[in-house]
Order: sequence, then C-alpha cells, then structure tokens
Amino acid sequence: MALDTDRSIRYQVPSFLNTITAKARRIRITPMALFWTLILFILIIPITLFLSVAFSPRLFDQGKQWFTLSSFKPVFTGSYGLALLHSLILGVVAAVGASAIALSMAWLVLRTDTPARKIWNGTIFALFLAPSYLIALGWQRLFEQRGVLEIMGLHVTPIRNLLYGPVGICLVLMVKGIPFAYLVIANAMRGLGEEFEQAARVHGGSRSAAFRIMATLLLPSIFSALAIVFAEAISDFGVASTLSNVAHFSVATYQLYQGINSIPVQFPVSAATSLTLLALVILAILAQNRALRGRSFRTLSGRTRPASTLKFSILGKSLTSGWIIIVLVITLGIPIFGAVSASMLQGLGSLLSHYSINFSNYTRVLGSRFLRKPLIYSTEMSLITATLAVGLAAIASKVLTAARPSRSKRFMDFFLLAAVALPGIVFAIGYIFTYNLKFINDLGLHIYGTSFLLALAYTANALPSTSRSLVGNMSQIQDSMMDASRVHGSGPARAWLDVTMPIIARPLLIAWLLTFSGTLLELPVSELLYPPGSPPVAVGIELSLAGFDFGGGTAIEVLSILWALTVVAIAFFLFNRFAPAGWKRLGNQR
Amino acid sequence: MEAIGESTMNKVQPQRVEVRGAQKNYGSLAALDNFDLTIEPGTFTVLLGPSGSGKSTLIRSIAGIERLDSGTISFGTQPISGPGLHLPPEKRDLAMVFQDYALWPHMSAYENVEYALRRRKVSSEEVANRVNEALERVGLAGKGANYPFQLSGGEQQRVALARAIVARPSLLLFDEPLSNLDADLRERLRVEIATLTREIGATALYITHDQSEAFALADTIGVLRSGKLQQLDTPENIYQKPANRFVAAFTGISGSFQGTVESVDGEEVTVRSGQAQIRCRMGSPLNVGESVEVLLRPSATSISTHPSDDHNSFTGQVLDLAYRGRGYEHVIECELGVISSVFAVTAAKRGDKVRVRIDPRNCLAFPL
Repeated sequence: MALDTDRSIRYQVPSFLNTITAKARRIRITPMALFWTLILFILIIPITLFLSVAFSPRLFDQGKQWFTLSSFKPVFTGSYGLALLHSLILGVVAAVGASAIALSMAWLVLRTDTPARKIWNGTIFALFLAPSYLIALGWQRLFEQRGVLEIMGLHVTPIRNLLYGPVGICLVLMVKGIPFAYLVIANAMRGLGEEFEQAARVHGGSRSAAFRIMATLLLPSIFSALAIVFAEAISDFGVASTLSNVAHFSVATYQLYQGINSIPVQFPVSAATSLTLLALVILAILAQNRALRGRSFRTLSGRTRPASTLKFSILGKSLTSGWIIIVLVITLGIPIFGAVSASMLQGLGSLLSHYSINFSNYTRVLGSRFLRKPLIYSTEMSLITATLAVGLAAIASKVLTAARPSRSKRFMDFFLLAAVALPGIVFAIGYIFTYNLKFINDLGLHIYGTSFLLALAYTANALPSTSRSLVGNMSQIQDSMMDASRVHGSGPARAWLDVTMPIIARPLLIAWLLTFSGTLLELPVSELLYPPGSPPVAVGIELSLAGFDFGGGTAIEVLSILWALTVVAIAFFLFNRFAPAGWKRLGNQR
Repeated sequence: MEAIGESTMNKVQPQRVEVRGAQKNYGSLAALDNFDLTIEPGTFTVLLGPSGSGKSTLIRSIAGIERLDSGTISFGTQPISGPGLHLPPEKRDLAMVFQDYALWPHMSAYENVEYALRRRKVSSEEVANRVNEALERVGLAGKGANYPFQLSGGEQQRVALARAIVARPSLLLFDEPLSNLDADLRERLRVEIATLTREIGATALYITHDQSEAFALADTIGVLRSGKLQQLDTPENIYQKPANRFVAAFTGISGSFQGTVESVDGEEVTVRSGQAQIRCRMGSPLNVGESVEVLLRPSATSISTHPSDDHNSFTGQVLDLAYRGRGYEHVIECELGVISSVFAVTAAKRGDKVRVRIDPRNCLAFPL
C-alpha cells in the first residue's frame, strides 16, 4: 500500500540533495561524516521519530498530550493484546522447534557420516533465499480448498484445518527459522574441537559426561539461535499476511498493518505496538545473556583439533538420512512442489470443474502487468539496495570491530542491535510517518511515495542484519594488515581497497546476494512504500493472488525465484571467473 | 641464499629520528610520558622493555599509525608529527616489519613484496628485478608464487622482511618481528635482519622484550619502563653500567639479595647479608650502613672447584641443574635466596652442598 500522492518521482534527484552537494563543496566532508549522515537519515531519524510518538502524540500533531502512556493501553487489550499474545507464543514455539531441528542437523552434518548431509549443505542457501510468505503460499496452494491436492483427488481437510491455524503458522515460522539457527549452531560446532571431549574421557568421564560438556560448550550458540529465531518469528510479516490472514489467526505484525490501513491512522498505537515488539526481542536477548551469566565459552584457538566423525551402521545411516530428507521435504520440498504444481495448473482458484496441466500460466504472466515491469523494477531497486547496504554495512562492521572502544562504536552497536530487532513493517510505518511529517516536508524533503524513499527504506531494513553478518569476517582482519599497507605507501582508501576488500570479497559477495535476493522478494516495506504505479514484484504476486489468479500468481513466484537464483549463479560465475586468484583462494579457506 | 655481504643493493640516505616530549595516554594510562629519543642516521637502535612499557606505542607513533597527544617527531630537520601536524604513514618513506608478519593473505609472496613499490615511480622492469632480488636475498627465490598460508612461519617473516627492504626506505621499523618464531629460526633470522639492514644502510629501530635479541642486534639500546626512557647507550654500557636497578634487572640477572653496606672501597662495596659478606660493584653511589639490593649477572657466579675457598663465596644446596653443552647451569638455594644459572663444567648432584664463588665485577649493588 502507498498513501495516495500525485508525486511520482522515479530516479529524480530530490532538491535537498542538490543543496547538500552545494554545501559539501564548501565544507570538508569526510567519508565517516557522510556515513553517519546517511545512517542518521535512513535509520536513526525515521525510527526515533516514529517510536517517540508512542509517548508524545502532541509532538507530531497526533494527539493532545505531550507525554502519555495511554497509547500502550490498547496494545495489551482487545484485538491488539490477543495478537501480541499469539505472536509471543508462536515465537517461543518456533524458536524452540527450529533450534532443536537445527541442532540435530548441525550434529548430523558436521559430526557424522550420514550420507544425506551433503544434500543439506547444498540446500541451506535456498532456505535463506525463500521469504516466509512464499513458503506459506506453497503450503496454501497445496492444501487449500480446491487446491492442488484436492484437484488430485486427495482428502486433505484435516491437514488443512491444522495448517490454517496456529500449527501451520508455527510450522512455517519454524521452517524459516531453521537456517538462521543452523548457521549459528553449526559455526559454534565447527570450532568445537574434539580435545574437550577427549579431556573429559581421559579424566574419567563417561561418554554421556563428555556429551554433557559438549552440550554446555554449545549453550551460547543454542541461546543465540533461540533469540534469533524468536526475533525473526515475532517480527515476521510474510506469514502474517498470508496464512494467518486467511486463517483469521491474528498476529502482532498483521495487526500493525491493519492499524496503518485504518482511518484515521493511529500512529501512536502503532508506535506503541512496535515498541512492545522491540521490547520483546530485547527481552529475549537479555534472557540469553542472563542464561549465560556472562560466562565465556571461547572454544576456538589455533590449537583446536578437528573433531572426529561418528561412523553409523547401515541402519543408522538410513534413519539419519531419512530424518534429513523429511526435514528437507517439509522445509523446501512441499513449498516448491506447491508453487510449481499450482503454477502449472490451469484454472486454479476458479470454480471450474476441469483443470489441465500446462505452461499457459507462464506464457500468460510473461506479458502480465504484475510480472515484467514489477520484476524489472524490483531488480533495479535490489541492485541499488544491495550495493548501498553492503557498502554501508562494510563500514559499520569496521566501526563495530575497531580494536579500541569508542563512542561511535558503542552507539553503532546499540543502534544496530535495536534495529535488527525491528520488524520490516515497523521500518515501513516509521518511514510513512516520518516522511509525511509537516516539518520534514517544510525542510524540502518531498520524498514520500518515491522510489528514492523505497530504496532508502529497503537499505535501512537490510543494513542491520547485513552489518551483523559481516562483523565476524571483518573481525578476522588484523589491524596490522591495514597498518602494513599504510606504512608501505597507501592512503586510507587505497589500503581499504587493496587489503580489506579483497580479504572479505567472498563474504561481501554473499552479503550482497542475500540482500539482493531478500530485497527482490521483500514484502512489508514494498507493500507499504511502493510508489504509485510502480509495484515491486512481491506486491505484483500479492495483487495477482488477491484477484484469485492463483496459477498466475504462483507462476510469478516461481519465475521471480528462478530470476533470483539466476542472478546468484551469474554472480558466483563472474566471481569465480574474474576475481584474482588470491581472493578466491582466501574464500575457499574459510 | 646469497652470502652475507655479497648483495648488490644500493645504499640509501639514512634518516635521523628525533622524538621530543612525546606524550600518549590511553585513558588514565600514560603509554609515553614526556618521552625523548634521538636516533642517529644509519644506526641500529633497539628499544628494550617489558609489556606496557610504551615501546609499541613509540614505534607506531614514528610509523604514523598512532597520533601523539603532544610532543614532536622529526625526520632530519622535517617535523612529521606535532601540534596540528600528522604526516600520514604513506608519506614518511619508511617500512615496517610486524610481529604477526601482517602479510596480505590474498596476495602471493611476490605480490606482497611488490606492493611496497607500487606507489613509487619505478619501471615495471625494475620492479620485477628488485622484487626478485629481495626475495632471493631472504632465501625465497623460488617461492614468489606461494601464498602466505603455503609458507612456514619463518618464510612468512622473510617475505615481510623482503617487503620492508625492497623499496629501500630511509627508516626501517621492526615491531618484535621474531617473537612468534622458534629459537633456531629466531637466531637465523636475527642474523639476516642485522646484515640486510646494515647492507642497505637505513636507520633501523627495533623493539623487543628479549634482552639477548637486543644485545645481539643493537648499536644502541634504549631501555623503557612505564613510558619513560631509562637509559640509551651502547650494549656494553647498558650491561656493565646500568643506569638503575630496573635496567640492570631487565638486562639479565640470575638472582638478587638484600643487605647492608659494610664498607666502600672505590667502585666496590662489601655487603653483609646474614652471615655472608659479598664484594660487589656499586650500581650508584652508596654509603656505609645503607640498605641495598645486590643483583647478580649470570656471569657473576660459578661453582668453586675448591670447597674450602671462602673468598667472596657462599655455601648452598643444588636444587636443580640443566645441561647447556659447554657445561651445566645449576640452581642453588642458599641463605641469600635462590640463585640460578650458576655455571660449572662438571655437573653437581641434586641435593649436593657446593661452594658458589661470586665475581665482584658482575654483581651490582643498588640502594633500596
């Protein structure tokens, strides 16, 4: 949704940028000053202004009180309160389920010789790429009334009743949380050499005692996984706008969306809801810290010995491979089958009694207003967003990994942590609120309803998680390597290009691709901020499905994902073909 | 590798380095405290000090990686760091060898060395010649194509050394370059650093906490403590005439004991500690009756072959011993305390009573 506006400023440079450029010529602008200015405009100002309206409606002409907590009252009562409770329960269950599955996967893949582990490694990237609404839609297309399975003559009503309710919603949230939890736990398990287990055994510990020590050493990663999946689940909008919407099972993010679509728009209540969601995530992080009680579990050192592989019998291999395959079928297989089969069914979503399987949905949508232009538009926006977000994230992660503590480091750390916890929909509402404020418009910032604002919102939404993903790699770069470049004749920019960038080239590429793919199929920000007449592809899919063109909608889904995978393949091909040998060699070492 | 002294490398114009009133604080801790230092052109100066003495801060400030809070640094007559002035590292015409090598892992050994020439106006033909010569000079002629992870620790540090010398800078800085290497490799690389640096004629500043490394390399040694220079002198003077107790203790002792000055005789004093009377040199002016601490250099003690010899000696019991090739070093417990590195050509047994003789020239008394 975008608020009605007669301004359609695609790619037009706003006038305030010309003013800033003119001033920049007079005053000396350092790269870090430019970076902080951008962070201020895309992250700090919109979020702070929007959230502050929860306490002070009058500050922005949204009510009569300068300070009040009354905006929080509806959040904990009635439909808002129920939605919040649902989100909380779903978040906890999804976090526990996803972390348990991820733990089993990490152990099977990294510590055993089960044959199916190789398939898992190849598919984890696909799980990251698939947005939650596409996973939910895949399930929906299969199990809905007159859906693919019913057309095939199967009786799926009991499963549908389960799917269209808390169980189904929780299942999809769990599926979406598994790759995040897996990544965290697997990274910790990789660093956990076998010496700890051996030490327990040689000092008289039984096999189970050794296992308990290993489990304790993995606790930080398990708590991290729980916190991450919980945050992802309660801030998810994809499942909220699909499964929970059709199942009439309200969750907080969808309640926010409805709040912003109501007349008059209740910004103070939306801000209070957003703050409550943020508080829940921060509480999860605090709970994680408290559970660990500040204990350090540093296990990785230069002397860490790789752990030995547990060899299964044939029965063990069959059982464990079976488990991996079941998880893969549920996480990827069913959604893919649902989407692909629905996209090839002619007449899905209609009351026809005759259905046929062909590619006509694809040939039809190739010329559809919901595919071609939106896909091109989303691709352009994703290119801009990924490049801008990864550039800013590289600088942010460098600030975060600085050897010496500084005020900018502490501030960045706090703000990015808080921003990671903010749901995409809160970003979008924050942008709607801030860039429609009278005083912002009086400043000459007429950017609401433009592609420029959409790109900024996408970037702000992607920046916190992209920065966090680069922190690990950036922290591996010893300061002395940059110092060596400087003392051997390079300026700061040259040293950055010569040393930092090549060393983290592969992580940068992966971060870029994840941001690109994530933005290409992004839903909440797209839905709320797209410029009139220029829907991104995620909105195109939604609009198509809203018109009961299920075949066409899923065909757009499939083509969009294929396009994302093609871009990923092209990027990796170009990197492997043209990147200097040292850059590739380094990536392979990791 | 080419034999020492056979290089065709050109000599450079060495730099004179002058540090005046340098101050650098980290919070409430002064890493450099009104620090003064002059390094004469073409000399090899080693700064020796324990962790936290400020030596790394100083070398990084000279390199331009750190900014001083106050004070000045000049190269020759040109100030490079001072109030409102900070010449960036890339403009200082220097090179540095880092403790952790700081090789760029995405570049081959050749590319790492070549990097130092990239921003100098040197023809590509000369670049190739100079890089190959530098690699050959450090014994890595056939390993230019290898990446750092394909080289051993010693080879990696040789690449770092080649990178430092290839551009023939006027000032070479060494930040504890040997501390990550094993003993044998340290010794070999130390010789290479000494010869290569003197060969190109650059001024060299080397920091370490290892006194044997300092004495082996330096024309001049500076001893640092808590951000202050304690003494700057030749290795001989640092060892024989340490300015204070700290310098003496940090440059190698095998034991110490406390006592009272009984008599003063020119440069020497007699110190009583319990029943023992020991003659030693004065580390600083002393008076009769003054309480002192006597520091024993390892070369000051030996096991007397005449058990009845009571001249400047004491009796003790052997706690432990270690074979050192040319003889044995013993750890002796006596009424003065525990003295280590007590040398004898033949081994005493653990638990034996022995007589330890003290050479007054190699023990120093300082006031408490």
